[in-house]
Amino acid sequence: MSYGQGRTKVDALKEVDLAVNKGELLAIMGPSGSGKTTLLMILGLVTTPTKGQLILDGDNIYDGRTRDFQKLRREKIGFIFQFSNLIPFLTAEENIMLPMDLVGITGQRAHSRAAELLDYLEVTGRAGELPERLSGGEKQRVAIARALANSPAMILADEPTASLDTERGLSVMRLLRKLSREQGTAILVVTHDERMIGEVDRVLQLVDGRVVSDESQN
Amino acid sequence: MNLAFKDVRYHFFKFVSSTIGVSLLMMMVFTLGGIIRGVILDSSTIIGAAEADLWVVQKGWLGPFVEISRLPEDYYHGIQAMHGVAEASPLVMAWNHVEHPVGTSGLMMFMYRNAQFGTRTMVEPHWLDMARELRFLLIGYEPDHLGGPPMIVAGRHIEASHYEIVADVRTGLQIGESIRMRGFDYTVVGLTKNMVGFNADPVIYARLVDAQNILFEPDPDLLRNIRRRTGAQLGGAEAVAPRLMEPLARQASSVSENLHMINAIAVKVEPGVSVEEVANEIRHWEHLQVYTSAREVNIQLMGANRLILVQLSLFRLLLLIIAGVIIGLLTYTFTLDKIKDIAVLKLLGTQTRRIYSMIIQQAVLMGFLGTISGAALEFASEPYFPRRVSATVGDVEQMLVIITVISILASLVAVRRAMQVDPRIVLGT
Repeated sequence: MSYGQGRTKVDALKEVDLAVNKGELLAIMGPSGSGKTTLLMILGLVTTPTKGQLILDGDNIYDGRTRDFQKLRREKIGFIFQFSNLIPFLTAEENIMLPMDLVGITGQRAHSRAAELLDYLEVTGRAGELPERLSGGEKQRVAIARALANSPAMILADEPTASLDTERGLSVMRLLRKLSREQGTAILVVTHDERMIGEVDRVLQLVDGRVVSDESQN
Repeated sequence: MNLAFKDVRYHFFKFVSSTIGVSLLMMMVFTLGGIIRGVILDSSTIIGAAEADLWVVQKGWLGPFVEISRLPEDYYHGIQAMHGVAEASPLVMAWNHVEHPVGTSGLMMFMYRNAQFGTRTMVEPHWLDMARELRFLLIGYEPDHLGGPPMIVAGRHIEASHYEIVADVRTGLQIGESIRMRGFDYTVVGLTKNMVGFNADPVIYARLVDAQNILFEPDPDLLRNIRRRTGAQLGGAEAVAPRLMEPLARQASSVSENLHMINAIAVKVEPGVSVEEVANEIRHWEHLQVYTSAREVNIQLMGANRLILVQLSLFRLLLLIIAGVIIGLLTYTFTLDKIKDIAVLKLLGTQTRRIYSMIIQQAVLMGFLGTISGAALEFASEPYFPRRVSATVGDVEQMLVIITVISILASLVAVRRAMQVDPRIVLGT
């Protein structure tokens, strides 16, 4: 997969070949400008690669057919952001129910699923709170619950520990590892924090848009 | 899950304070509409309440409510005798005034002072001194005939043969109070409501004969002067026709003292008879002009009040446009505050129409609530206006439709901004 942009074409990604398995926790690392975010955008279906293929959950996305990327994102991909980016006017529970609402899961079914995720992520008591009343760690847990709400095939996490201290950052990474194993979800984490390497299954190193190393941690 | 309502719940104070601003603006829109209707009602209520189909005046004059024509009183007998006429009533009506202190409430005094302060640069000294005259439209009628007060809100109708009047409440007169006109005291025995002329001067009703005395009785000094001049002229004629001297002197005297004049004749047509047909018959009379009641109202609205109505309507339209612009700006500001949230929503795969719907719903909600609360404020404040202000539930219903359209159009700028939001802004930040 490759991606170039602008009149004076700069290849942000060059021949990146990557396969991520279900239940795998992958860290994408590299210096600034290495193409981490570009890769995340392509995988998140918000940027189209100049050339190459993207196969998501067995489906070849750029095979020439017209596709509803919004629908694919709703159903197949979960997102976790650096600053949680919870919707400020929705409570913790409503933030978790939002992706379900977008795919038509509402009412008791959505409430039950949200309660289950809140319990799983140990933030049950904060269900009715607005994000502004949650701590940084609680926000990230709720954001993770939101990403999991529709049981997506893949979760993309953009620097999910950057705004947390080491202890809380490690806690989040352990949680992601637990999730990937128990839920069977492929989780790709873009990070520059090398302290988190020990918690992932595999580390992909990007430099100048090229994959320079792809190593399993086991 | 309704994102618009959730956002309003979160930004409750901001939304409510913005809506209050819109509601004050909408209150002004309703008030102007109410003032326009007030002018229309002021021009039509007396005519409607008289239950006359036709108004007969002197040839070449407009109706009795805008111009004072004069007819001999006995003309109405001739009209009464016409085919198809159920009733013809003589009426006297003219603007008049008496020296009377203007009663003012605290609020009225505040508004008066405010008007004085606000126009200081526009007026000469004393131009805005408090009025010392009570201006009114005097209507003389025959009790139990057309043209009298349609309702009595306090006291009773005129019963005595002289010196009793019924006044509109806006005169400020109280039952039992007397006013002096042409050397006689007239006592208020009843109060009526909403009976004003096209220029909002309140009406005072009197018996026909009393009104004739008040309006047509010449000043005694003037009368003496006329008699002296007539005598001098007849002196010249004596040499030519001495036998005609006595009848000529008698006639000249009776003309100068003739009180049997009226200003108009109100005509009620028999059921089943064409009003236009009767009007055409009356038009055959050489010295008479006839107007239907609808034409009478039209003469007042499109004659005397045309420019003020157009001006008020234009101002109302401008306020409505301003309300739309303000709703648009507020919605745009709300949207700018949510740019990052909109990006997140887009990234999560939220349907585009759902995001735009959130913005439009908020604009419509603000317009809707602003309109409802603006209408409530207007209804509550109506009694405190010095002239009749009359908004209706129909105005509110009509305005809700208009403001919904305006709100949707106004929110399109915000929607356009939301369309431009790139979901990628939340990645890598």
